[in-house]
Amino acid sequence: MLKIVNLTKTYGDKRAVDDLTLHILPGEIYGFIGHNGAGKTTTIKSVCGILKFDSGEIMIDGTSIREDPLGCKRKLAYIPDNPDMYEFMTGIQFLNFVADIFGVSADDRRKRIAEYADAFSLTDDLAQPISAYSHGMKQKLAIISALIHEPKLVIMDEPFVGLDPKASHILKGMMRDICDRGGAIFFSTHVLEVAEKLCDKIAIIKDGKLIKSGTMDEVKGDDSLEEVFLELEDAK
Amino acid sequence: MTKALFKKQMMEAFSWLYRNRKTGKNRSKAGIIGFGVFYFLIIFGVLGSVFYIMADSLCEPLMNAGIAWLYWAIMGLVTVALGVFGSVFNTYASLYQAKDNDLLLSMPVPVRHILVMRLSGVYFMGLIYELVVIIPALIQWFINGGSLWALQLPLVLSILVLALSCILGWVVALISGKLRNKNIITVIMSLAFIGGYYYIYANAYKILMSILADPFALGEKVKGILYPFYHMGLGAAGNFVSVLIFAAMVAALFAIVYAVLSRSFIALATANKGAAKAKYREKAVKAAPADSALLRKEMRRFLGSANYMLNCGLGVIMMVLAAVALVIFKDSVTEVLFGVFGRTASIIPMLAAAAVCMITTMCDMAAPSVSLEGKSIWLAQSLPVTASQVLMAKLKLQLVLTVPPALLLTAAVLGVLQPSWYFCLLLPVIILAFILFMALLGLATNLKLPNLNWTSEIIPIKQGASVAVALFGGWAVVVALGGVYVLLSKLLAPELYLLCTAVLLFAVSVWLLHWIRTKGAAIFETL
Repeated sequence: MLKIVNLTKTYGDKRAVDDLTLHILPGEIYGFIGHNGAGKTTTIKSVCGILKFDSGEIMIDGTSIREDPLGCKRKLAYIPDNPDMYEFMTGIQFLNFVADIFGVSADDRRKRIAEYADAFSLTDDLAQPISAYSHGMKQKLAIISALIHEPKLVIMDEPFVGLDPKASHILKGMMRDICDRGGAIFFSTHVLEVAEKLCDKIAIIKDGKLIKSGTMDEVKGDDSLEEVFLELEDAK
Repeated sequence: MTKALFKKQMMEAFSWLYRNRKTGKNRSKAGIIGFGVFYFLIIFGVLGSVFYIMADSLCEPLMNAGIAWLYWAIMGLVTVALGVFGSVFNTYASLYQAKDNDLLLSMPVPVRHILVMRLSGVYFMGLIYELVVIIPALIQWFINGGSLWALQLPLVLSILVLALSCILGWVVALISGKLRNKNIITVIMSLAFIGGYYYIYANAYKILMSILADPFALGEKVKGILYPFYHMGLGAAGNFVSVLIFAAMVAALFAIVYAVLSRSFIALATANKGAAKAKYREKAVKAAPADSALLRKEMRRFLGSANYMLNCGLGVIMMVLAAVALVIFKDSVTEVLFGVFGRTASIIPMLAAAAVCMITTMCDMAAPSVSLEGKSIWLAQSLPVTASQVLMAKLKLQLVLTVPPALLLTAAVLGVLQPSWYFCLLLPVIILAFILFMALLGLATNLKLPNLNWTSEIIPIKQGASVAVALFGGWAVVVALGGVYVLLSKLLAPELYLLCTAVLLFAVSVWLLHWIRTKGAAIFETL
């Protein structure tokens, strides 16, 4: 579903991502962990076509993001860590805007908005301007807008920040549903307990380089993910 | 503790002086002094001189007529009006919308200290506005040998301004908490205020003359309707009893306001400040193509911000008003123009074209539109639309909003001036070419000079380089084209010159459009 091959991205002299290679298959929830400034967000933004990268290749469901960025963007959904949305719109206006951009039919969007907004208890607030939303409500709205076109690949940057326990639980269920339907999830997180329970595979990045990846068992063995992560972080 | 709170309030109230809003950094000492002197000159030099002229016209005649109290009643009313209306939004923000109420209420600070601190900020802001009127009024008063009792007025009036600001701020808080279409209301109120200001400015002489023509009649009215101001005037003129009466009235009003505020301050400070909550009801929606969705988004951005509408869309209203005014005052306009230039002079349609183009520069929605994406630019970059599509939506917004009123105004111009048929054809063409060129120029400049890291939208809207280029650059283009016409007037017939200019503007527009769709789009993708 997502192939990242030898991805390199530099900012001036700094190599934010250095020769990163990852392969995410349909049906997988793939966790991406690393310290602050390790290169997670740069990788994610490159995958979503927001950032241009220096070298390497990113393929989404067999399509190159360099050659057909719009084709790739139609297949994926991106939820940023801090969803700054159009605050001059109401929640429902924003969802309809995103649905129009993705060409979702009126009937489909009505069903999906009703389903997801009810699940996240956001229905009553959809007529409110986004500027009146709390961080958690914005996060929920970003998730609903991301899922409105039934993406094959969902890319999330710290998706659980700001969500209440119930919403986190619902989101985890939705992530599993997407994968069960043949989609894939690639997300970054600092909450190692969540990653350990939720992910099929995990990748650890440090200073832009991939230092370990594979299935959860391959990465952590008999230790906890936290122990492995801290050990790898401390290693020079 | 009180000192720390007071210092914090003054830092907040005067942050505009020591902090550059554009960069978010503190100014240097020289910068603070320079900006302070500049501000002082603008406020006290420009505004103060207007009030000085007013005081100069009123003081001596009213003193000579033996009704000096009326001078102070009028100047006092102006002082209070400027102080209250000038600081009302500051009052609203600092009393009812302060962001640090939760922080301060969680600290071991008595509530009354917080209230007094807030009121001190409101007081000083009102005082600045008050002094703009009262200082010139006092200067004139003493030049004409007025009583020293007038010196108590700045203090007493400042308390009155504070009390009334608190009441008006509360009304604003109440209204803004209930309204759903706040932005439209703000625009209408602002336009009404601007209209009222220009009406008073244009008729100031007439108003002053009508006061001086029969000051006793006005005096009787003031006595009847604004009795406290009658005593204020008498007090300033030396009547000690009136000083006490007016001071007692002001003190009583302030005591009531303070008592109400101190009782309700915690409720006000911790109230949910959101607008009346609208409950979502599902409605049938029609799916729209991506380009329409993008244009609708730009339209919502425009209609969702009073600042955006007032600063970049004023031309829309001005063009409609100009068209209506032109038709109403048709005879006067033609009389002046035909009288000066002759009925068939070709300079008349040329000047009309220049005037319409000048007004269209007041529509510059595209100029800050890239910067206005701000931190939400990730959406435009991650959605499956090209950068060119996003930019074209911004361009279309300006064209959709500018072309119809411009054509209306052009039709009014042609109807009133009735020029020859070739000018009737050429005027709409040159005006449309100019509108297109200016929209493209504003957008291209913003792509070259974007600012996505703003904390207040007023920065890209009002202080952005692209907005300055769109507004002043547009005027410069009109003036330059006029200058070239003067130089070439012996070589080129006016209609041929208009045609050549239109072709030139269209050609540059085509080049700008190509640049925006290619290089501009590439810039947008990497912002």
